[in-house]
Amino acid sequence: MTLYLGCLIRTLYPEVEKAVYEVLGRIGVVFEEPKGASCCAPLGLFSLSKNAWLRLNERNMRLFQSTVLTVCDDCFASLSDAFKILSEKNNVRVPEVKPFGKFMLEKLEEKGLRFSFKGLRCAVQHSCHLLRPARNVDNAENPMVVKNVLEKLGYIPVSYVSELDCCGGLVFEEKMRNAIARRKAEALEKSGADCVVTTCSHCMRQLKSVSRLPVLHLAQLSALSMGANPEEIGISEILLRRMVNP
Amino acid sequence: MISRLKEKGAGDLLKCIQCGSCTSSCIVNAVNEYFNPRRIIGSIVRFNRLPDQDPWLCSSCSICVERCPQRVNPLSVIMALRMIKYENGDAPPSRVFELIEQIKKTGLAFPLSNEAYEKRRSLGLPELEMDEESLKEVKKILSEAGF
Repeated sequence: MTLYLGCLIRTLYPEVEKAVYEVLGRIGVVFEEPKGASCCAPLGLFSLSKNAWLRLNERNMRLFQSTVLTVCDDCFASLSDAFKILSEKNNVRVPEVKPFGKFMLEKLEEKGLRFSFKGLRCAVQHSCHLLRPARNVDNAENPMVVKNVLEKLGYIPVSYVSELDCCGGLVFEEKMRNAIARRKAEALEKSGADCVVTTCSHCMRQLKSVSRLPVLHLAQLSALSMGANPEEIGISEILLRRMVNP
Repeated sequence: MISRLKEKGAGDLLKCIQCGSCTSSCIVNAVNEYFNPRRIIGSIVRFNRLPDQDPWLCSSCSICVERCPQRVNPLSVIMALRMIKYENGDAPPSRVFELIEQIKKTGLAFPLSNEAYEKRRSLGLPELEMDEESLKEVKKILSEAGF
């Protein structure tokens, strides 16, 4: 398996990166991380040159020898869209791209793993680019993948109003970006959850800037269930105290 | 104008029936009604006019693509408008160029903060630096695209 962590996790969230290594180590997944891979330049952010986006990812693709595991759903969307175009254009086989949530669900099911009940209520921030437009990863109008993973890990996924709403993380205009974030944060706070869980690093950054709830990546909660050191993977004391079996 | 948009990857705008499913699902419209995907497409197909709304306000959440009953792909139209505006000399938000500059510097779109650098060291995470050869290739791709 090829691990593609993406820019934000490596430069801003080392605790998430650590959690990913913990999870892969503990479930025994052998992986490589190509040193020369660059940013996948998601089109929502860059938009100015489709050709440059495609060439950057053609270059990335040459470095990937196996199924690509992404830890940020924006990377998932950018890489899988680019690979699809490249496969059609050049009539070549391209590596499969697998988002972290789906990967976890498959691994937990394959190994029949379930973890002890933690009693932590989690509101999922479903990342737009994992779901839309129909990427055959999850149901775009009623996503369940991350919730099912949380359940198997011993957490309680909670439903809430505006669950499908975007967090606004990729809006360029600051006032608008903040207004959308606040709207989403309010909905999350009203859900009664102890924390917010996502699989997209842009959602993480955006919601961390406004939410009163702790915002975590699914990898952190996965690693915690599997016995990783909470401090190293960025799980706070406050959150641990809310759990039944920390 | 429609053929120019299509060259830039816009979907089949003429199929639009102006039903407004895009706008009623749009999160940006929910906080500021000035941004209205239905009107963006309307001004192109009905009046052959470049919309006055800023395509850079779009969050690219793609819910308009998912819910459009005519499969127009409004997002693709908005992305094409970004490119056309850029070609017409309208500067995109400066943040776009900051991201591109950062990729040219390190291969990644975001700089490593001091805090994260220290944390990476204390957690024993691998070095981030991209090898020179790779960085040269990345720079070449971006400079050939005019950046």
